[in-house]
Amino acid sequence: MILEKSKGYKQVIKWLKAKKKKPFKFQKDAWEYYAEGYSGLVNAPTGFGKTFSLFLAVVIDELNNRKAIKTTSKKGRKTSGLKLIWITPLRSLAKDLARAMREVCTELEMDWQIGVRNGDTPQNEKLKQKKQMPEVLIITPESMHLLLAQKNSLAYFDDLQCIVADEWHELLGSKRGVMAELAISRIKGLIKEKHPERLLRIWGISATIGNMEQALDVLVPYEEVLKITVTADVEKKIEIKSILPDHIDMLPWAGHLGHKLAYKLLPVIEKSKTTLIFCNTRGQAELWYQNLLKLDENLAGQIAIHHGSIDYELRNWIEEAIHTGILKAVISTSSLDLGVDFKPVDTVVQIGSPKGVARFLQRAGRSGHSPFETSKIYFLPTHALELVEAAAIKEAARTQNIESREPVVMAFDTLIQYMVTLAVGDGFDDKKLYDEVKSTFAFRELEPPEWSWMMQFITTGGDSLTAYTEFSKVEKEDGLWKVKSRQLAMRHRLHIGTIVSDAMLKVKYLTGGYIGMLEESFISRMKPGSSFTLAGRVLEFVMVKEMTVLVRRSKLKSAITPSWLGGRISLTANLGAILRKKYNQTLDQTHEDEELDIILPLFERQAKVSHVPKDDEFLIELIKTRDGYHFFAYPFEGRQVHEIMAALIAYRLGRVKPISFSIAMNDYGFELLSEQPIPLDEENVKLLFSPVNLGEDIVASINATEMARRKFRDIACISGLVFQGYPGKYVANKHLQSSSSLFFNVFSDYDKHNLLLRQAYDEAFYQQIEEPRLAAALHRIQASKVIIVKAESYTPLCFPIKVDSLRENMSTEELGARIAKMTAEADKKQTQRRKKNDHQL
Amino acid sequence: MTINCKGEDLILSKHRAIYWEAQKMLIISDLHLGKGAYFRKAGIQIPVHVNTADLNTLTTLILEFNPDSLLITGDMFHHQMNSEAELFRQWRLQYPELKILLIKGNHDTLKAKDYSDLAIEIYPKEFLCKPFRFIHDQPAVTDDYYNITGHIHPGVTIYGKARQLIRLPCFYFGKTCAILPAFSAFTGLSKINAAKEDLFYAITPEKVVLV
Repeated sequence: MILEKSKGYKQVIKWLKAKKKKPFKFQKDAWEYYAEGYSGLVNAPTGFGKTFSLFLAVVIDELNNRKAIKTTSKKGRKTSGLKLIWITPLRSLAKDLARAMREVCTELEMDWQIGVRNGDTPQNEKLKQKKQMPEVLIITPESMHLLLAQKNSLAYFDDLQCIVADEWHELLGSKRGVMAELAISRIKGLIKEKHPERLLRIWGISATIGNMEQALDVLVPYEEVLKITVTADVEKKIEIKSILPDHIDMLPWAGHLGHKLAYKLLPVIEKSKTTLIFCNTRGQAELWYQNLLKLDENLAGQIAIHHGSIDYELRNWIEEAIHTGILKAVISTSSLDLGVDFKPVDTVVQIGSPKGVARFLQRAGRSGHSPFETSKIYFLPTHALELVEAAAIKEAARTQNIESREPVVMAFDTLIQYMVTLAVGDGFDDKKLYDEVKSTFAFRELEPPEWSWMMQFITTGGDSLTAYTEFSKVEKEDGLWKVKSRQLAMRHRLHIGTIVSDAMLKVKYLTGGYIGMLEESFISRMKPGSSFTLAGRVLEFVMVKEMTVLVRRSKLKSAITPSWLGGRISLTANLGAILRKKYNQTLDQTHEDEELDIILPLFERQAKVSHVPKDDEFLIELIKTRDGYHFFAYPFEGRQVHEIMAALIAYRLGRVKPISFSIAMNDYGFELLSEQPIPLDEENVKLLFSPVNLGEDIVASINATEMARRKFRDIACISGLVFQGYPGKYVANKHLQSSSSLFFNVFSDYDKHNLLLRQAYDEAFYQQIEEPRLAAALHRIQASKVIIVKAESYTPLCFPIKVDSLRENMSTEELGARIAKMTAEADKKQTQRRKKNDHQL
Repeated sequence: MTINCKGEDLILSKHRAIYWEAQKMLIISDLHLGKGAYFRKAGIQIPVHVNTADLNTLTTLILEFNPDSLLITGDMFHHQMNSEAELFRQWRLQYPELKILLIKGNHDTLKAKDYSDLAIEIYPKEFLCKPFRFIHDQPAVTDDYYNITGHIHPGVTIYGKARQLIRLPCFYFGKTCAILPAFSAFTGLSKINAAKEDLFYAITPEKVVLV
């Protein structure tokens, strides 16, 4: 290797040696490819120095070329301009990254400045950067666009060598990824125009996902660029352990809290330094916090709760406290999935199904951070069938069967925002920009008519047929499209970004101090004097004043827990497939999973009263109770797919004879309930689940308009139609108040060809309805053996679905009692074999 | 749909208007003329058809009822004179006989001359016509007059099976006060905290229904 002989390489190796470190093979590979001018993607587990695989590559390159620069510029400038842009999805990562990079530079005696730029960067720091860019800039996709929205931003990129997208798997599946793609395309375009001879390298760092190759294609879609994926040959050891009940009867057949096993968690917390406890919802986290305190009062002051609706300051404090190791356990939601490494964390607990392999492994990785240390994660099932999921997850982790992240394409809203962003900055040439945009992965399918529609949208305000005289946003000046109005430019800068938050009210003590945020719909049900819990505190509602909820500490020990809207996560296709396989193994006992041994009695019972579906079978249960005729089906495709499938089947059954249903579902299957007998038999069942005419039948069976309307909320914000305002602040201009729903109506009625409207329907179809996955599921069902069982009472499999449909309008206590009663009823049925199925739900 | 309110027959039109037969008076609220143009000026894309559609609806109502006067309980103009307000001027020329009365709302900030040019009679606070008081927003104190107001753009949510719901504009008739739906299609809806005996008439594309 030539690189190994180079001065910079030797210097870096020497420095590492002094620190008693040796580079991993993948790091050396990455340095080598970088030196050869490649772009690419580094795929390595956390904790193995993936940052250094690229940062040191740039450093080596700098050390090797340094002399040349010094001789050419005799004046000896102090800084040499921006060399490296490091895109990170999280602000919280930036500080640590900068610290590590600074350390390298100091110890290698490089006079590089490391700058951080994101929403938290103080104004004077930004001004300083404007005058003199640091050599390395750690930045979020949003701040990158803000940089492009500045005047004379072109000059910043004159000396740029490399752009790195850190945690690319995180950005990939979101519109923030599209923002990164667009910003990179612009910077690349600028450099090409000014210095056609210069080489800009584009690198990404990603955890393992199902579509690594595509991830690279999205980041580096350029054909003329050499590209490579560097995969680490080191493996992160993960130890997965289920918290098992002593007997299966200890676990309820249904439920989502898992409090029954909570006492088994105490010793785990006890023997660990710091434990992170992951819940799936914010409401669940609040309940677990209370429950743990109830179980062990000694934990007071030693545990904390962390989720997205807790005030920023408070969360910061908690994160700091994890760092210093003063907390014994932290209950959190996905809010701690990503972010800085917490050194003291040595144990992770997952409560309930994590719904996906990638998420589970990500969470596991939050413990045992240094290389060769083992990540330890406990799985605590909330109901009996989740034990199977535990076994499935283990297998998926072993076989590295990890989900893909589908890149976002044709996000017109993001593109419109980006075009205005450039117009706010130095302006753009529409022909050149079209070519740049078309070169990105997200917009490679972009057609000229769509482009001209968007140009019209931001220049004339609508289609070419109507002259909108008053409309002013983007205008042409000296051949470039620009935003002239300072007011418009300022408003646009404030709204750059694609994260649209819910309409939330801040919660504050009467005496001062913010606690967190709540949804308006929850607060509207509160009366003065009533109490609720937030951030683990019991609070008494006083009043709402100026978009802030004022509260005081309540004397009550417990109170209702708010439920935050926001989608429930659905089981992924990967996990669903393994789950079906595990169902085979349980009864056959061809496995080595202790979870499946425990659950065996339940499966034997299911086999007795109904049937346990094998992975080449598709089970349908028909049950008649006093409520009516139940139809249960088990595709194991996740609740989101089931929701649509249930509506589809209901619609198709309705064509056989007029019949109406109520629908319920969970991640395993769905239920249709009707007052009339359901016209289903062996003959027509395959026809009902046929993938033929799927698209048309979906449109006819579900309210696609409503789904698109919900999707349009984000689109309207991102494309600048609706202004979000900030939590706790009024929208500045009252005359401009409007809602996305209103725009949706107006466009639907008067501007059918609006591309944003089309995007809303596309998003609904692909993200909400998941049509491709639904079609695949139906094809699979066609190939399966259909088994229809007429059961006498609720079976262990259908039970969770039934309970889930009840949860909607019942408090947890009521629900717990009801579940116990239902289980008892089902038990009784089985032993007594009564003829009548008249038990009450 | 015809209802009786305080002894008077009122026709509730699906075009978001009340026709008071006895007075030959058409009553609407929250027309928000020029709102689209105002948004466009601020760089927000609103199709111009929204405004023409509103004026066309108004024409339809005039042809249907042939009223002597048109009463607007506030928020006739969204902000200032602009191209859409200009379109209204042209519309006005077609109906020179029609008396237009406007009770000023919080949005109505045109100059006095602009109103007189358009032959609009202005009532700064309220317009009394027994048994009704027409006023933009509910007064704090109630008296013998039954208030007919606008301002809040009332909407009603109808829940269906399987967690389906639909929001529709509506007429609201409470104990002391009725609220008109916003006339303009380019307006949002807000919920009303209702007492038990209050009546809501939802406006569907086909007709007005009591819910």
